[in-house]
Amino acid sequence: MIFSTLEHILTHISFSIISIVITIFLISLSVDEIVGLYDSSEKGMIATFFCITGLLVTRWIYSGHFPLSDLYESLIFLSWSFSVIHMVPYFKKHKNYLSTITAPSTIFTQGFATSGLLTEMHQSEIVVPALQSQWLMMHVSMMILGYAALLCGSLLSVALLVITLRKAIRVFSKKNNFLNESFSFVEIQYMNERSNVLLTTSFCSSRNYYRAQLIQQLDQWSYRIISLGFLFLTIGILSGAVWANEAWGSYWNWDPKETWAFITWTLFAIYLHTRTNKNWESLNCAIVASIGFLIIWICYFGVNLLGIGLHSYGSFNLH
Amino acid sequence: MNKNPLNHQLETAVKLRHCWCSEKPLPCSSRNSASMESLNTFTNPLNPPSPRRIPLKPFQIHHHHPKSTQRNLSSPISCKLKSSQKDTTKSSTKLISQKILLSENMPPPLAEEEDGVEAEKPLENDKNGAMGMWLKRLPRRVLSVLSNLPLAIGEMATVAALMALGTIIDQGEAPDFYFQRYPEDNPALGFFTWRWVLTLGFDHMYSSPIFLGTLVLLGTSLMACTYTTQIPLVKVARRWNFLQSSEAIRKQEFSERLSRASVQDLGIILMGSGYEVFLKGPSLYAFKGLAGRFAPIGVHLAMLLIMAGGTLSATGSFKGSVTVPQGLNFVIGDVLGPTGFLSNPSEEFNTEVHVNRFYMDYYDSGEVSQFHTDLSLFDLGGKEVMRKTISVNDPLRYGGFTIYQTDWSFSALQVLKDSEGPFNLPMAPLQINGDKKLFGTFLPVSDTDASSVKGISMLARDLQSIVLYDQDGKFAGVRRPNSKLPIDIGGTKIVIVDAIGSTGLNLKTDPGVPIVYAGFGALMLTTCISYLSHTQMEQQWLSEERQTEQKANFLRR
Repeated sequence: MIFSTLEHILTHISFSIISIVITIFLISLSVDEIVGLYDSSEKGMIATFFCITGLLVTRWIYSGHFPLSDLYESLIFLSWSFSVIHMVPYFKKHKNYLSTITAPSTIFTQGFATSGLLTEMHQSEIVVPALQSQWLMMHVSMMILGYAALLCGSLLSVALLVITLRKAIRVFSKKNNFLNESFSFVEIQYMNERSNVLLTTSFCSSRNYYRAQLIQQLDQWSYRIISLGFLFLTIGILSGAVWANEAWGSYWNWDPKETWAFITWTLFAIYLHTRTNKNWESLNCAIVASIGFLIIWICYFGVNLLGIGLHSYGSFNLH
Repeated sequence: MNKNPLNHQLETAVKLRHCWCSEKPLPCSSRNSASMESLNTFTNPLNPPSPRRIPLKPFQIHHHHPKSTQRNLSSPISCKLKSSQKDTTKSSTKLISQKILLSENMPPPLAEEEDGVEAEKPLENDKNGAMGMWLKRLPRRVLSVLSNLPLAIGEMATVAALMALGTIIDQGEAPDFYFQRYPEDNPALGFFTWRWVLTLGFDHMYSSPIFLGTLVLLGTSLMACTYTTQIPLVKVARRWNFLQSSEAIRKQEFSERLSRASVQDLGIILMGSGYEVFLKGPSLYAFKGLAGRFAPIGVHLAMLLIMAGGTLSATGSFKGSVTVPQGLNFVIGDVLGPTGFLSNPSEEFNTEVHVNRFYMDYYDSGEVSQFHTDLSLFDLGGKEVMRKTISVNDPLRYGGFTIYQTDWSFSALQVLKDSEGPFNLPMAPLQINGDKKLFGTFLPVSDTDASSVKGISMLARDLQSIVLYDQDGKFAGVRRPNSKLPIDIGGTKIVIVDAIGSTGLNLKTDPGVPIVYAGFGALMLTTCISYLSHTQMEQQWLSEERQTEQKANFLRR
């Protein structure tokens, strides 16, 4: 009894903290950068991380099985992975823009999971015989971590695409003053951090220079995190195949979920190969990664809506 | 000449090989910006190249370049180690005093622009006539076509699209289903009718010729790419040539002369930066990031291994499934069927399997928690060779085949009627909904010759409890098989003696599994190595960038 109330409390705390963090981020975006606010938002993210970890551990102790056996638990795990990914660069002291992607992702996932849409799934379910295996921990956790990292990377690529295309559009039309202003805030932030960079006057406009730097940074970061996500996804798919062989005798069954995971893997392999060609580099890769965003959601959520196949544990019906 | 005894110069050929060079231009110096183009040096790093641009390199060396060089290097490079300017006076007669020897190779995997070059040149001196030349050229042409990167990307995209299509179109149904689902008079997307589905084989997509053909093409592309691109990289990497004379060193792409430098100090510096250093007399050879070059080869080879193993599985294995009531046996060979033309039955197929006992575990809420089967294997002579209790996720392995517990069923209900019996009433499946099953049976109590027979119905969801209904269909009671409690229904005394379950087993023998597992392990390992070596280079580059930034700031002030 105490565990379930504890779990309840932790869920609500994590949701509230992260709402506050998002508000702080938005405020700091519209007002000039206040260092104190930035620090407190980082502390808020750390607190969220501990809350979600506590939530998962409580659920584990309470139900006796690893907290990854149905869709609700996997969503909590996904938001936990987002907060982990957010925190790693913070501890390595890399200032980066990953935080603007991971923090909102965490809140949206957490919010969706705890929202009223899925209340009937909040109870701990019993584990069917097929899921009672050590492989569950490795396979599902690797897959969710992979999804989280790939989602971050593809969102960064979407951001890159938006900035690049906006630059192209702005050459032709000078009327979008409002959009200019909102993007210039991001650039002002960037400028403040890079204010000690050696500037030469050979560039036509300093704003273009910073935009180019921003694009380059986004590109670099999205490459890094997509490579990490690709690694996790590979390990997840292969461990799933080995588990299937142990449980049912066949390591690949062309199950919808397996097939879509393989499609995701293939798409990000195309992304990595596209990057080797220097001529194509940033724009084409970004397009591929943006398609990846859709594919991951289809793989993770869309297939579950069908409710068939070997992965039917994660199915639910939208009423 | 080269050696001026007064200067104690040591010319060291420092061949710095950087793999996975990060492609970012360095923002520090505008003079470098002109040289920020990638360089495909991997084909001929050891031959004197034509004048090329200097590529960007993660290892910054600041140095001022004299004006005249015979190499016509198009842009200057700045070097950190200050090479003495006095060198230029002596070396003005010579070729190349300051060139950085950096055999920088493209990060693998597929630098396809080179293949065209490679393919065309070796055959100028072929004198066998047009046909012979064409035949000789054919493999090379084919190779160069196959190892083209855009083609590989296109193949991967095609495979992905076909797989997606396979999940949308229901697989394995009768043709009638497709006639109804994709009718000709109302085609989906305006053109997609059942004719498309059946002729292209989309109803069995994952074994259709189109899909398998694309996979085969992808496999050949992988092989061609590995052969033409990756293996030469390996050859280059393994040729640790200690170039002894300074002319040979200076003929390199990039070479540097450091006055008053000792080889040992340089070696220590390089080791501190993470290079592998080899010292031989006065010569030194250092490389870094070799793993990053081999890892993509490893990834591709692992994929080829998986494909080969998968092909063997598809054509050479046996599989079958059987539902056996508790207490009966079956022979393995009767149950297994071959999957392809390479399937070879083995001696162990004569083994007889006896189901000793089948039982299930339940949660407190009544749901099934696990099912177990106690099996004994007997050989031809009747001797028991193995005994094991299997459950889901815990199969039995013997002699190359594996028995998996996958399903369960209800075979019969043993009852005593008015102390007569026991009668074995077979249970029929009334409703199967995945893991939720309903079985039922019927015990007639009135005259069986009458037109409508009345009797007692018994329903069960699992082997735990049986629900009984009387002749009018009204609920009568629940009994557990082991309790031996009688129940009286309309004058008839019923005792449930036992619930006999049957176990659902899947049997399989698959020769391709070890190969596939080896491929899986190799893939995981090489992907890890590839990622780690890349991050290593990135870290290095990042820290160097910060250092140079700080230095640039310092100099600015």
